[in-house]
Amino acid sequence: MNLISGIDVTAGALNAQKTRLDVVAQNIANAQTTRGPNGGPYQRLQVSFETELVKRTASGGATLQSVRVASITPDRTVGQQVHNPQHPDAGPDGMVTMPNVNMSYEMVDLITASRAYEANLSVVKNARQMAMKALEIGR
Amino acid sequence: MSPIGSVNPLQATALSRIDAPLPKIGLPQATPATTGPSEGFGPMLDGLVGQVQSKQAAAQEATRKVLLGDSDQLHQSVIAMQEASVAFTMMVEVRNKLVESYQELMRMQV
Repeated sequence: MNLISGIDVTAGALNAQKTRLDVVAQNIANAQTTRGPNGGPYQRLQVSFETELVKRTASGGATLQSVRVASITPDRTVGQQVHNPQHPDAGPDGMVTMPNVNMSYEMVDLITASRAYEANLSVVKNARQMAMKALEIGR
Repeated sequence: MSPIGSVNPLQATALSRIDAPLPKIGLPQATPATTGPSEGFGPMLDGLVGQVQSKQAAAQEATRKVLLGDSDQLHQSVIAMQEASVAFTMMVEVRNKLVESYQELMRMQV
């Protein structure tokens, strides 16, 4: 029995936005990381979403499409070169390749993910209110 | 403008749609619409209480997982709690209706 309609769709969207927020957090945290597991500087990650069909409930109703994370791909652009010969990761010419994280992009992504999460939470709240109002019919 | 009293095709389809039987609303399995005379209120309520109980158990399990760090699906646990709360409210409403009808029967003059 699924009392709050459409909640599976919203739950999927919340999950996807949370993943996006996690990735933004990772990008910001590694904004100064010059050495990753592959030896090179950190590369910022990007999240893309895809639709996901939700199983139809037994009681009928519309076939709904939820959302899930399709892929988390690294951004291959080369980061900024900084002259710092004392740095352990500096090349023979004294230049260090910094990660390609752009703080303004990350902040915009952060705010977008946060607002999208809030929007989905409003859907949950309203769906619950609708269910509660429906239960008040009998009073 | 169509004269009053005649129905244009668009209105006709709309009317036929109004007359069509309503689709069945998905009631929980525990409260079948055709409760035979052999079944009383007892089994029916029992099923409903069981379903609500299972919802609450699911919510508790989700919350426990979040608290133990097994899962980071905080929203899932809160959504499960809300669902359990709605299910509980529905159970209380059904009980209220049942008690109301019982009292109505007891007040009946024989």
